[in-house]
Amino acid sequence: MPSPSTHSESESVPSPQGDGTPASSQEDAATASSPEEGAVPSSPEEPSTSGEGEQGNSEEARGDVPSASDPSASTEKEPSADAPGVSSATLGDVQEPQRLHPLTLLLRVGQSLPALFVILLPTLQNPSSENVFSVVFSLLYGLVALPAIVLQYLRFSYRITPKQIVIQKGVLKRQNRSIPIERIQNIQIEENLVARLLGLAKVTIETAGSSATEGSLEYVSTSDAHDIRRAVRSFQHRGAADADEADGDEGEPTGEELFSMALPHVLLSGAFRFSLLYIALVFSAFQLVDPELIVQRVLRSQGRIDQITEAMAAHPGLSILASIIAAGVLGWISGILIHLARYYNFHLWLDGDKLRKRHGLFTVTEGTIPLKKVQTLILRTNPLMRAFGWYELEVQTVGMNVDEQGHRVVAPFAQYGDVLSLARRIRSFELPDAFGNVSPITIRRRFARYSMALAAVLVPSAYFWPTDWWMPGGLALPWWGFTLIPFVLGWAVLQYRNHDYAVRDDGLYIRRGVLAHYLWIIPTEKHHVFHTTATIFQRRLDLKTLFVDTAGAATFAYPEVIDLPADEAEEQLDRLYGRFQTLYRARIEAATGAPDTRLDEEERPQLSVAEDS
Amino acid sequence: METSSSGPDRSEVLTGDALHPLDTSITSIWTIKLLGLAVLLFLPALFYDLTHMFAPDAWLPFGVLSGTVLGLGLLYGIAWPRLRYRSWGFALRPEELYVEHGVITNVRTVVPLRRIQHVDVSQDLIEREYALGRLVVHTAGSRSSDVVVPGLPLAEAERIRDEVKRFILEDPLTEDPV
Repeated sequence: MPSPSTHSESESVPSPQGDGTPASSQEDAATASSPEEGAVPSSPEEPSTSGEGEQGNSEEARGDVPSASDPSASTEKEPSADAPGVSSATLGDVQEPQRLHPLTLLLRVGQSLPALFVILLPTLQNPSSENVFSVVFSLLYGLVALPAIVLQYLRFSYRITPKQIVIQKGVLKRQNRSIPIERIQNIQIEENLVARLLGLAKVTIETAGSSATEGSLEYVSTSDAHDIRRAVRSFQHRGAADADEADGDEGEPTGEELFSMALPHVLLSGAFRFSLLYIALVFSAFQLVDPELIVQRVLRSQGRIDQITEAMAAHPGLSILASIIAAGVLGWISGILIHLARYYNFHLWLDGDKLRKRHGLFTVTEGTIPLKKVQTLILRTNPLMRAFGWYELEVQTVGMNVDEQGHRVVAPFAQYGDVLSLARRIRSFELPDAFGNVSPITIRRRFARYSMALAAVLVPSAYFWPTDWWMPGGLALPWWGFTLIPFVLGWAVLQYRNHDYAVRDDGLYIRRGVLAHYLWIIPTEKHHVFHTTATIFQRRLDLKTLFVDTAGAATFAYPEVIDLPADEAEEQLDRLYGRFQTLYRARIEAATGAPDTRLDEEERPQLSVAEDS
Repeated sequence: METSSSGPDRSEVLTGDALHPLDTSITSIWTIKLLGLAVLLFLPALFYDLTHMFAPDAWLPFGVLSGTVLGLGLLYGIAWPRLRYRSWGFALRPEELYVEHGVITNVRTVVPLRRIQHVDVSQDLIEREYALGRLVVHTAGSRSSDVVVPGLPLAEAERIRDEVKRFILEDPLTEDPV
């Protein structure tokens, strides 16, 4: 059955041009690209022969691909011929199959060293004949890994034509992927520290609709990376507008700068965040150092240790305070360092219908976010930042960077007013004057839930508490934990106070969270599925949770309105869906000049009631 | 009763026409599956009982453990599908699929037809015996991207699928779905 917009395994975005070329791994495109090779007189033989070699492996795909792309390829011949200025001068070499940069070999070997280290670890720690196995293993590993790296390098090639990017790779299993140029959403250039020292960059190609990265080139030289991006841009723009958009010298983004952060600003932003990364660092440091060495050190410095332990025993409150302060300071410092590494030299530009950003100290990341792909605007803050009016602006996107959970930071740190005006540049909205609270019964539910959780932790630990451990007042310490109950109540009240929402014509606005406080702005046109849910406890209290699903929403901290009065939840769901319907009916009428005929009484899809008795 | 006349603001989607129940034989399918699970739990319990039949320090008389497991399993396998069946209801409306289900957590879902990415009808072995199919609706949403309506007569499931397909194919708006 020819399903309307779908492919069984690939993504199911209907191609807007209707040429039926899916974006994901089409097996071969040598035929499609052959017209362009005529424009490059240097070596027309080589690409087609390498393409021919692949055809044998993938005959099954051959049947449909040429038919799909042949006509479009022949129409594309004209533009590629009439704009030789760009393509022959800077891109002529890119159109032929390219290898990655040779230094990639060095980097790959470097990347495989940690595995070697793990294998050799027993020998390194205790060089004796017993551990000869690990040496043998590492030799075997080297025998396998090094040729694999070289083979991978030799068998990887990429080629950029006005129509598509073709990536061929694979040693045992050849893969031949072609990515149509017009489907490319984002070309991200990433330079980590080592790569930057060698003048290399990683290029990742993302397309609309697919959730993962479509292709990545690891590594090419930095100038090649910018060439590739410029080439793709110019090919994309050639179809639509003229070459006045063909932008950018040496990757310097054009467009209006919306936001940037100077060094003090970055440091300040880090000062408002805490990170627990230092714990991981401490543990990994422990793993590198021989434990016996530490023990010996400790034994040698017994006197000093004794002093410390005595001091701690004498003033338990003081030592607890000291360790809390130490943890705080460490977390604070690592927060600053992380922000410095991540957001150093942060710049955000608005370039036509795309946002472009670049940031990073060691790893410089560059990327674009098409405005059309922004699903939800998210303003995020924590209590400390909120006290000083600082906010972070994120946008939720689909099919973009998976590392950031579909959330991309647009402005890491800015004052409320600046964040709002920046957000309005991305998509216009009007913040509602009044937000409505959820039902106050939510305090009761939250209080009950948190108290249960507390009891579930405390009661068993009190039961198994050894009698010779600390028992202030003759009671096991965990019993004293129940004195936290008032704080639990306070916490529940805080959660209630920090949770409100508003339904407006242009979308749904939700604020929620105490420690991580969010404001979600969900435009009506990005609503996907509407839910109300009521658990068994909520039903007893006549409460409901309202939830509007959006594409690419995070799996935790999602925008839902928890514990609305049941009637209100249903009413708001009705209202939201009504707005959604109205919006799309108006759009259809605007597009076709007539109301949607599919919704007519006689056209309406009907269930025959006869069958399900 | 089936007029869901939508005003400018409200959709009346929750108060529209009556919901269709699932096919009644879905309870049998669920019972079979749950009883299979109960047997899986019962066998280890029985094994424990048999191996500890003559143990001097048995903390339970023979048969108590396996009997309890079997009894609870039977009760669960017979009562639960009925509860679940009663909680289910769905309706295909002009512009949306409306689904209501859930015993412990009651969920009402409105899937606008224009948001559907694709539709499957699937069948497992037991469902095939009863000539039932399940409708799986995929959307681009993240948390509950698949909406499943089980226990439809296969022909009906396929008809719904075709209706949805027609709706999408005839959509005059050619925009990216996300």
